Amino acid sequence: MSARAPMARIRSTPLRLTVILLAIFALATLGCFATAYLVVRTNLNAAILSDLQQTVETFRSISDPDELRERLVEAAATTDPTFRVLHYLPDRGAVIANAGEVGPISGLSILSDQDLDRSDTNLAGSYLALSTRLGTGQLIVAQSRTPIVEMGEVFFAVFLTGLLPAIAIAVGAGFWVARAARHRIENIQQALSEITGGHISARVTDVDGRSDDLSGIGQAVNDMAAAQEALIASMRQVSSDIAHDLKTPIQRVSVLLNQLVDKTELTKGQEDLLLRAQGETARIVRTFQALLQLAQIEGGAVRDRLAPVDLAEVVRDVVDFLEVDAEAQGLSLTADVAAPATVAGDRQLLSQLSVNLIQNAMMHGADGGVIAVRVTADDSGVALMVADRGAGIPVAERDNVLQRLYRLERSRTTDGNGLGLALVAAVCDLHRARLTLGDNAPGLVVRIVFPPLAGSAGVGAPAQGPHLTQ
Amino acid sequence: MKILVIEDDAATGSYIADGLREEGHSVDLITSGAEGLVQATIGIYDVMVVDRMLPGLDGMSLVKTLRATRNATPVLFLTAMGGVDDRIEGLHAGADDYLVKPFAFGELSARIAAIGRRPKLQDDPVTLSAADLEMQLLSRKVTRAGQIIDLLPREFALLEHLLRRKGRVQTRTMLMEAVWDIHYDPLTNVVDTHISRLRAKVDKPFGSDLIETVRGAGYRINEA
Repeated sequence: MSARAPMARIRSTPLRLTVILLAIFALATLGCFATAYLVVRTNLNAAILSDLQQTVETFRSISDPDELRERLVEAAATTDPTFRVLHYLPDRGAVIANAGEVGPISGLSILSDQDLDRSDTNLAGSYLALSTRLGTGQLIVAQSRTPIVEMGEVFFAVFLTGLLPAIAIAVGAGFWVARAARHRIENIQQALSEITGGHISARVTDVDGRSDDLSGIGQAVNDMAAAQEALIASMRQVSSDIAHDLKTPIQRVSVLLNQLVDKTELTKGQEDLLLRAQGETARIVRTFQALLQLAQIEGGAVRDRLAPVDLAEVVRDVVDFLEVDAEAQGLSLTADVAAPATVAGDRQLLSQLSVNLIQNAMMHGADGGVIAVRVTADDSGVALMVADRGAGIPVAERDNVLQRLYRLERSRTTDGNGLGLALVAAVCDLHRARLTLGDNAPGLVVRIVFPPLAGSAGVGAPAQGPHLTQ
Repeated sequence: MKILVIEDDAATGSYIADGLREEGHSVDLITSGAEGLVQATIGIYDVMVVDRMLPGLDGMSLVKTLRATRNATPVLFLTAMGGVDDRIEGLHAGADDYLVKPFAFGELSARIAAIGRRPKLQDDPVTLSAADLEMQLLSRKVTRAGQIIDLLPREFALLEHLLRRKGRVQTRTMLMEAVWDIHYDPLTNVVDTHISRLRAKVDKPFGSDLIETVRGAGYRINEA
């Protein structure tokens, strides 16, 4: 996983949808909850207020000042200050009250700590107070807001024990579902990119036993790949059939031409024609040999024969073999080879692969004057690189040049049969090695990474079966 | 030499038989595998040329059967184009060498000479020589007319191969196989370049050529 992973996660559609859904769910739930709280609170407030007003109205209905005083004293004595505080401040005379000092207020207000005498432990936490002019004094009636506070606490408790866990569970489940969906989408994505990358046998794996849309897409991808694979197989079969059918006649033509050269007295002109015919026949034979060999390698029968081979030694031999050719062309061919670099392989095919790559570089990268061959070996496997400083291959053409008989427009005039890199690709496939054509800026760099040998990596390790890890 | 050719394709069969007869060999040409096995068992041959694909009994089984009866006649296997496995399978079955069709006659002739009536290579010679050229195998020293010649390891190997097979033609393919272990067609005449480099060191300074080019076949170092 690279630093790009978080970005990829944000771009994941199921995850994004889940986050949006969760946000809507959380907001809606909180909204409902808040509305319910406010409604209940407003109702409670209204009830308290009407209680207070009723009380005030009761006192106001008494017109006789003495009776009013008497009733106030009586009320102050019988009213529990925890529930209701009474405070009458006449213009003259003593204060009538059932609790300590109450701060000067006017109209309707909420009494809190600073307005109350906190030494009186019978008082509730907060009160709703109504202050009004009554007779020849100021009456303050305050009723406890405990029900409202308690109601708030209940709502808070419900929020903590019910709603928060519900949201947490929703978030967890949402992410889990999103992850599962993302995983399946990635699975499809990976299969698709492998298929388009040339591994036509790759498939979406989790399509069985489900009938949802993702499985449908996966199945469609698989069907498409299978159809393409069948098409390629039949194309290969046809070309291989043609090659097999023409093998014997070509061989006879070659034999007949040889006999003609060996056994006939010919004029100079006739002999020249004959030699040209022989040359062309040899070309046909080489192309056929290469096509048939490709078909056989792709058939995979050779895979059973793979044994530990020191790629370093193979490459050294090949470089040694071709170096004089490079020198004759004024090219510098250098080899930087780490030994040992053991891979499970076929020595001859690996040798042929190296020859093809170097010859390809000599043919198409000659302008650069330098061809560098490297073999490296570490824990992640053995890598072979062949780099030139020539014109390179345009990105769009890189897959094409690995196809048989495909040649770049500018290469049509050079020698070669268009099968060299196809053979390289086939041999890589056989060895389950990863082949990449890259930009050497300028030039082409071909990089082949072989999978690590299963078990011991040393030279002379016992023969391995086909390497099956991907 | 007495040579048995088992090849079902008439054109190829007569091409091989006629060519070998012209070279002075005595040739029996048989066109089916079963007949060929009978002929190989009752006759005494110096070399057999056996096609891989034969009607009746295929070449591979024929050679296996022959080897099972302790018949050690050298066999040159002919295989068709495209057989990646044929070389290894053929050698495994007991063939001494193999050749992919179509081939130039010079190639066939050189290979028959190499496996037939093989005069035992001297087991562990210490020196090899031809005319005034001498090769010390242990000290890896090469001299001609008493003058030391500096050779690269691969040039040494190439010269050693030719010297050990003095008097016998070695084709380019045979040299590639023996010196570079290349058993496929590398689509290059680079062997010629290697030979000309070797000549520049071994022949050119001394005015007389030990390494001879045999037209249509390959190279040879001659006795004296």
